[in-house]
Amino acid sequence: MTQRRRPPRRPVRQHVPQRKRRRRSLRRRVPGTSLLRLRIGFLVIAMVVSVFAVRLFELQGVDAAAYVAKARAEGVVTVKLPATRGTIRDRNGIPLADSVDGLMIVADPTLTSPHAAAIATIVARRLHVDYFDVLARLQAPDTHFQYIDRRVPAAKARAVVDEIRAKGYKGIDVRRDPVRDYPGHDVAANILGFTNAMGQAGEGTELTFDDLLSGRAGSATYEVGGGNRIPLGDSSVVEPKAGKDLTLTIDQDVQWYAQRALRNAVRGSGAESGSAVVMDTGTGELLALADYPTFDANDPTGSPESDLGARSVRAMYEPGSVEKVLTTSALLDAGLVTPRTRLRVPGVLPVQDRVIHDDVPHGMWHLTMTGVLARSSNIGAALAARRISDKGLYAYLHDFGLGQPTGLGLRGETAGSLPPWKSWRPIRKANIAFGQGVAVSAVQMAAAINTVANGGVYVEPSLVKGKARLNDGRVVGSATSQRHRVISKHAARMETKMMETVTKDGGTAPNTAIAGYNIAGKTGTAERVDPRCGCYGSKHTVSFVGFAPADHPRLLVYVVVAAPDGGFGSTVAGPVFKRLMSYALTKYGVAPSGHRDKTPPLTW
Amino acid sequence: MSMTSVARTARGRVPRIAEQAVERARLAVVPRGVARPPRVPFVALVSVLLVGGVAGLLYVNTSMQQASFTTSALQERAQRLDAVQQSLQMQLERLRNPQRVALRARHLGMVPPPAPAFLRLDGHGGGRVLGHPAPAVAGDGIRVSPAPRAKPSNLRPAPVIVEPPQNKDKQNKDKQNSRQDGQARQNQTSQPREKHGAASTQDADRTGTKKPAPHQSHQPH
Repeated sequence: MTQRRRPPRRPVRQHVPQRKRRRRSLRRRVPGTSLLRLRIGFLVIAMVVSVFAVRLFELQGVDAAAYVAKARAEGVVTVKLPATRGTIRDRNGIPLADSVDGLMIVADPTLTSPHAAAIATIVARRLHVDYFDVLARLQAPDTHFQYIDRRVPAAKARAVVDEIRAKGYKGIDVRRDPVRDYPGHDVAANILGFTNAMGQAGEGTELTFDDLLSGRAGSATYEVGGGNRIPLGDSSVVEPKAGKDLTLTIDQDVQWYAQRALRNAVRGSGAESGSAVVMDTGTGELLALADYPTFDANDPTGSPESDLGARSVRAMYEPGSVEKVLTTSALLDAGLVTPRTRLRVPGVLPVQDRVIHDDVPHGMWHLTMTGVLARSSNIGAALAARRISDKGLYAYLHDFGLGQPTGLGLRGETAGSLPPWKSWRPIRKANIAFGQGVAVSAVQMAAAINTVANGGVYVEPSLVKGKARLNDGRVVGSATSQRHRVISKHAARMETKMMETVTKDGGTAPNTAIAGYNIAGKTGTAERVDPRCGCYGSKHTVSFVGFAPADHPRLLVYVVVAAPDGGFGSTVAGPVFKRLMSYALTKYGVAPSGHRDKTPPLTW
Repeated sequence: MSMTSVARTARGRVPRIAEQAVERARLAVVPRGVARPPRVPFVALVSVLLVGGVAGLLYVNTSMQQASFTTSALQERAQRLDAVQQSLQMQLERLRNPQRVALRARHLGMVPPPAPAFLRLDGHGGGRVLGHPAPAVAGDGIRVSPAPRAKPSNLRPAPVIVEPPQNKDKQNKDKQNSRQDGQARQNQTSQPREKHGAASTQDADRTGTKKPAPHQSHQPH
């Protein structure tokens, strides 16, 4: 039993000391080999870490900026987000100037030249470009970039590029190229102005309201991998601020009609230029502001630079007989004359060293004040003006808005010229009384005459509906237009009756009468200063102003034609007035009054 | 084995006094090989976590990438649709352009009314005509497209004036006379001013004239 028990014990007993011995021998080896290994290890680690540290210091401390920039450039894309330019609309909300997402089609000639003919065929067929021009561009040597077409509407451009790609041709691509579209071409171009190929405003309201319209461009920065945005990559977006819309008081249809009627008159009479103004009498809102010659807003380079602006606010001219309305209004308001005041009008009137004539030579005329206006007698007006002081007449004319810009919001507006009363001498006063010696812009004159139509209250003309801020910070618009009384309501009424005689038989312009309406009007035929000699030449500025219905004025139309080959206010500008007024009355549903106003007698 | 047997013999020898205290004070040898927990579940768990994590990450990454592609595609589509909308808008503007409408209207022989006239519809004085309606005539029309520029004189042939035949019946003669007079006058007026080009283009744009539409004559086809 014991023998049987022992054998299992022995190996146990023998095992234990063996284990102990092994442990001891291990402990004995540690101080020698292990410590050495540890030290070597530490050394290696220290060396590696110090290399890292040096590199870290180098990256973070020394070259930090350069590497940050490198990192940014690598896979990070910054895209400019252009702000949409505001739309310019007419009073009915129809866009006159609109921004459209456009694209430019560009080519890499190194890739396109092998298939140039095929690509050019597609491009020339789908876009309005010349085949041979495109062919030359597609084969241009030593370049990677050529424009094929610019400012193409996005849908069209993509369709073309897709077609080219579908056929397997490479090297054609599109890039953003915003298009400013003017659907009316030349309609209201004088007011709108234009934008150049870079999308920058060039003229007109585009320029004067540029800050309002252009908004603020934003940008987006994000990381890109394989052409797609990395979902969790760094990104930052500055949202673009879209430009605001601008609503004008212009009515596109009336503007169009005014421009066509004016063009016919200017070209038909061989004149230099012309302007037409249609105004809402009560509010001073301009329904149309036409100029000829004008330009196509989509192609401003196709017209001379002098035609790119609004002549109706820039050009200054002597108004001529139309100004007699202001002189007689002043006299009526001051109580110095009545429509029936009797005047003896001689055939000639010597003033100082000059002699004043009328249009037609005549003997002694026995005219009433009304007759002076109806026959447009210069002598009569000069005689009547003697009843008012220089200062008094000057104050009235100043109140009518002469000599000061109207502040419409267009660039380069002229203030006109109204010489200070202290410098007046009898001849100058006589001249001013019938519209020579003062200078106005078409809009200025229309606003002045509108005072009579509006019951004696001057309303600042406006081009912007509501209000809008100009680049210079000024707020303009129909909502902010100022009013002030110039003449009494009674004087305005009397003046209107006097003006009605102009369009009746016996007046200077019976051809401008519109059946069923009482039309108050006034012709103007002013001598033009010949710039070569600085004297009055043979050319004239002819004009016609009128408002209707005279018994309850709603619309005022003023037409000026500069330097026609002969003709008078009644024959050149009058027909345009009649057409425009008829059109506007129909369009705005202004019903005729149905009775003829009684007017004062012309003679005595 | 040997230790436990020694302890057993020692217990036998020690008198059973303060047995409890002895029991408490006595050092017991903790058994050496504590049963190790099975390794398989742990490894399995870790592997599952690892694989799950990697798979989940991959899935999230893929789906986000997919979403990114979709975003790009949808954005592109939105841009295209926007472009289509804009070009349609442009087309609309072109179609309702007053110039185009006027040309179409004139083609139909329409002219602006010479004097405004209205028909009162409301109760009081209903049905009354306001203004003086007058039939529109060709002369009421206005030229809406610019007159053609003057051609160089060598491209404008001199007007050919033909003497009317003398021995036709009177009515016919009168008609022809007046027509030719009209033409001659036109040529005379257009020549010295050099404003208008060929008389034919001028005729084409003369206002109020109803041109026979070419498609009307082809209707039988």
